[in-house]
Amino acid sequence: MSRDPRRPGFLFPLPAAGYRRAEPDEVVLSETPTDLASEHIAALLQRSAGGDRAAFRQLYDLQSGRLYALALRITRQPALAADAMHDAFVSVWQYADRFDPVRGAGEAWLTSIVRYRALDLVRHGVREVTGLEVPEQEDEDPDPLARLLGSAEGAALHRCLEELDAERRTLILHAFMDGLTHTELAEHFAMPLGTVKSSIRRGLAGLRQCLEPEGAE
Amino acid sequence: MSGESEDFDLLAGIYVLGALEADEARAVEELAARDGAVATSIEAWQNRLAPLAAAVPPRTPPADLWSRIEASMGAPAEDEAEAEPPPTLPAQMTPLSRAWGSVTVWRGVSAALALAAAFAGVTILSRPEPATYAAALAPAGAPSPAFLAQMSPDGSLMVRPLAPVQVAPGKDMQLWALPEGAKTPVSLGVLPAIGRSVSLRNLPTGSTQLMVSAEPAGGSPTGQPTGPVLYSGTLKRL
Repeated sequence: MSRDPRRPGFLFPLPAAGYRRAEPDEVVLSETPTDLASEHIAALLQRSAGGDRAAFRQLYDLQSGRLYALALRITRQPALAADAMHDAFVSVWQYADRFDPVRGAGEAWLTSIVRYRALDLVRHGVREVTGLEVPEQEDEDPDPLARLLGSAEGAALHRCLEELDAERRTLILHAFMDGLTHTELAEHFAMPLGTVKSSIRRGLAGLRQCLEPEGAE
Repeated sequence: MSGESEDFDLLAGIYVLGALEADEARAVEELAARDGAVATSIEAWQNRLAPLAAAVPPRTPPADLWSRIEASMGAPAEDEAEAEPPPTLPAQMTPLSRAWGSVTVWRGVSAALALAAAFAGVTILSRPEPATYAAALAPAGAPSPAFLAQMSPDGSLMVRPLAPVQVAPGKDMQLWALPEGAKTPVSLGVLPAIGRSVSLRNLPTGSTQLMVSAEPAGGSPTGQPTGPVLYSGTLKRL
């Protein structure tokens, strides 16, 4: 499975200097708003588990924009992204009772379900099917990672990503956001497959080590 | 974290990241469905990496998406008529996914798979053949496994490479099993760099050590390893 190399701006470069526009210390990590939002999502999931359709609709209204964007970024076709969202949300409705707020944020749970479904669809080669390509908008953003600073978890991840060397960071970002496999990453960055694999492995190990102290209960 | 659980934890991270090829991802799902530690690793990685999603600016979903979802949710008690599946599921979907619109199929999903939904949405979308034993085969003293070996209930052992494996010119890799307490390993045949499936039917599996040695092309001429052990790992029950 390979990406369309004609796709403009696909390999957005990670800004080196401008990227450090906000030092973690400068960011006011006001935890209250994000915590409240997270609690609200968790509560909506729990109400959905009890069959509350209005709560589920509210969950959709609050989360569908960011989740659809993720699915679209991975599938690159609106119809496939919509399928991924449909499948994922039906799954959430059916299995909302399996969500446990103690084990993670509702947003992370939703993100994972949508991503897995989108990845599953493209992994079956469906992305090869000619269809409407999504006009690239995301990559015009000079600093996509700055958006992470909006939440405490995101800011921590942002800081840890900055600690990685640029190659590892870039590979991890593209794997996550674009749903690129090792092989696809190797093709598009013209790197040996083994280098891609070891970079990602080391990058993840670095992230884990960086996040662990903060993530410790 | 011991070497092996370290391997599995990073593997879980790569899975969550989405960088694994389809068959590798499936293998990790099989592992996670049976091994609580792997499932826990996946969950931890989901929590670590999910904030990255914020890097993608939100987009307005299609206007009809909600009504499609609603049509698949099953009817509220007072309106049974809407329990019909939507007629428009795309043909590209896998057969199980296509059956999704059917509430009956949904309810038929096994409790175990439903449980798996707690950590990964994907596991309720697919029904992997559960592996019973697995081993990560790594070079001595090195953290990165080169192969993942998984045994199915039917006794077949699937050995898949997790990283590109280089074989010295004129050499072949050969796979060996050394059951616990045994003094000499049993050959499981030559192992191509792309991996292969072998039968372990006639061997005990508990704590069996798997080894890969470098042998002359075509395999060991003596029936026992003659070259150095490149990778090894112990089968553990999932």
